[in-house]
Amino acid sequence: MDRRTFLKNGIGFSTLVGTGAVGVTALIPNSARALQSKSLTYDLVAVKGGEPDVMFTKGIEALGGIGKFVKKGQRVVVKPNIGWDVSPERAGNTNPKLVTEIIKQCYSAGAKEVLVFDNTCDNWTRCYKNSGIEAAVKLAGGKIVPGNTEGYYHPVSVQRGRNLKDAKVHELILESDVFINVPILKSHGGARLTMSMKNLMGIVWDRGTWHRNDLHQCIADFATYRKPDLNILDAYSVMKTNGPRGVSEEDVVTMKSLLISTDMVTIDAAGAKLFGIDPYDIRHIQLAEEQKVGTAALDQLSIKRISL
Amino acid sequence: MAAFPTLRSLRSLRIAVSSLSCIAVTAVFIDIHHLIPFSLSSTIVALQFIPALLKSFSTIGVAITALFFVIVLTLLFGRVYCSHLCPLGTLQDIVIWLGKKKYTHRKFPYRKTNYRFFYSFTALVFIGLFAGNLILLNIFEPYSNFGRIISSLVRPLLILFNNAAVILLTASNTLGIARIPLTGPDVWNILAAIVFLAGIVGLSLWKGRLFCNLLCPVGGVLSLLSRISFYKIEIQNNACIDCGLCERVCRAQCIDSENHTVDAAACVGCFDCIGSCPEDGMGYAFRRRTSSTQKENPARRRVLLSLSSAMVASTGLSNAVDTSAAVAAYNAAKKQPIVPPGGIAREHFSQFCTACHLCVSACPTQVLQPSVIEYGFAGVFQPKMDYTVNYCNYDCVICGEICPTGAIHPLLPQEKKITQLGKVTFIKEDCIVETKKKDCGACDEHCPTKAVKMVPYGKLMLPQIENEYCVGCGACEHACPTTPRKAIYVTPNAIHATAKIRETKRLDPQNAIPQEFPF
Repeated sequence: MDRRTFLKNGIGFSTLVGTGAVGVTALIPNSARALQSKSLTYDLVAVKGGEPDVMFTKGIEALGGIGKFVKKGQRVVVKPNIGWDVSPERAGNTNPKLVTEIIKQCYSAGAKEVLVFDNTCDNWTRCYKNSGIEAAVKLAGGKIVPGNTEGYYHPVSVQRGRNLKDAKVHELILESDVFINVPILKSHGGARLTMSMKNLMGIVWDRGTWHRNDLHQCIADFATYRKPDLNILDAYSVMKTNGPRGVSEEDVVTMKSLLISTDMVTIDAAGAKLFGIDPYDIRHIQLAEEQKVGTAALDQLSIKRISL
Repeated sequence: MAAFPTLRSLRSLRIAVSSLSCIAVTAVFIDIHHLIPFSLSSTIVALQFIPALLKSFSTIGVAITALFFVIVLTLLFGRVYCSHLCPLGTLQDIVIWLGKKKYTHRKFPYRKTNYRFFYSFTALVFIGLFAGNLILLNIFEPYSNFGRIISSLVRPLLILFNNAAVILLTASNTLGIARIPLTGPDVWNILAAIVFLAGIVGLSLWKGRLFCNLLCPVGGVLSLLSRISFYKIEIQNNACIDCGLCERVCRAQCIDSENHTVDAAACVGCFDCIGSCPEDGMGYAFRRRTSSTQKENPARRRVLLSLSSAMVASTGLSNAVDTSAAVAAYNAAKKQPIVPPGGIAREHFSQFCTACHLCVSACPTQVLQPSVIEYGFAGVFQPKMDYTVNYCNYDCVICGEICPTGAIHPLLPQEKKITQLGKVTFIKEDCIVETKKKDCGACDEHCPTKAVKMVPYGKLMLPQIENEYCVGCGACEHACPTTPRKAIYVTPNAIHATAKIRETKRLDPQNAIPQEFPF
């Protein structure tokens, strides 16, 4: 289903802009995507007590290494949260150290190219720079790409959406072989918490529509559109209050935790629990599970817990 | 006085200096990727006369030095500013040069400059300036007009070109060059720039530098100063063979070759005449000579006086706020321009801004947009904060750093963060949470100070306002998804106020690592 939608969109997009390259990328049978997630040892990996890069290394090892998700010659898009013009200490954006490590590992698995972007809320150049993520991406040899104008986004239909029937999605998501979603766990005035599903608001253009048409429902709807190949939830520094932008460093606590899963509902449910909120109190988690995006029933899943 | 053959190189020097200065000023205005450091940008425009003059009123420093430099330069060498440092002068010179290439017969014969009109008009402009009404200044000030031409006409084209190039050069956007959203200017600003450009091009093809000797307020002041300048161009009677070549090349129509006179007060210092003389008969000598004096005209004075008092009166009128009870608060708020941070007050900003649109070009979020008549006619085209385009970045102070006139004062980041441009109004009846009974929170999400906070509202969360923390940045208003009216919007403060900084509870930052995973 996802794959079919993806193919269709890819072809639609390639005709739209008249470039063959996109169509070709989308048409090549992608064995990696077909294979993954069925052969994983755990549904969720939770790591605590280490530095972001170390926690990711340990966590992904438990899942069989990054090679399970990234194959030689593939084009990878990494989508951290880079929404705000705040310093890394404010924990408004994904931890830059984590981003560097993820990109490095993608390259070591043979990725052809690793690209990073976000449709930021604050001014994009300042967000990229002051979040430390632009430097983090360059450090690892990746490319940071703009997402600041509507021209980068192309219409797709969200077939399983209830309120949200279509959206405009960034072309990198449409073109890339592997999509790695790297949200940061934060409090959020509108969505209660922002985690993996909420982070996908940064790959679409018109967020106003979502806010107008029941935010929680739209978040759940869009989660049905495209399953990221991997979700990595950064909970090293966590903004407990005044999110998602925060007012000062005083909003932030150090939890030194990291979650990894291919299931957005699972990882968001676990993230909520880590934050101290019942997952079912967050309506978009409840709705996404109802719409078969994934499962929030953590007690029925195989979870690898790692303490460092 | 003997001829100075080496003086011929003055023309080359003029071409070099004016090209460099014009290119630099243009670059500052078309720097769409913000590559030029802002300290360099402000240095580049620092020598512009009117901005330096205006800024000298409010700050002590670079501006006064620059103003002093231009005045001394003029007192020494005449109106060389007009041919070396004025970007609009250079623009006219380019037009004249192209015109001459196309029409080889083209020349601008000597005409007596109408100093009565020229100086009266200049005086009127300056009376306006000192009375705080900048309408005439802003319509005729050369640097600001040049800025508006570049930012309203050239910059948008460059953005379109940039975006087309990015699309054509890369199948996907991995080049690292960003497309730039085209957010303005509006049709009135574009039209005004076209009209002025067409006027100045036409005038320079027709009469050379007539604008500079008729309407330009900077030209007027410098013309007066150049009357007592030490160095003046003159025809050496002993060398003159009456060929008339000097008059033929003069763009300021200030050389009367028949009577062997050069009107120094109209000369823009291009030095073309020096090179044109086959006998090296043009001197540029250290000499004092007074030009023809003006006879007083009491009737004219009276007209001028009444005109200027009308202008002073109109300042007050244009600043008046519509208090009609029939106008909804929202519409009323939307009619008032929001002054950028550092603009101090609507009145201050409007009295110092020459509408050069440099801040508009430099603003990274493009929230600064040219107004039309929101500031009243006196403040035509002065920039305002436009929250339909974007909102003011909480940590950004660029507009104040770059403003050459002191209309926007430079603010330290910590000062900017408590500068309140306006206050928010929340209309619950228009809010998604109320109308659709669904969560939204877009306003709260974007608010940098948490002047907007979500509070429980049944099972939902509803925005709550605490205006003492609001800086009026417009983030909530920009993000608010309601149509056609925003449920949360900023009403400008006529005078900027100071916001409080929210005291946050210090959370225990270290003991948060979970003992056991809660799942």
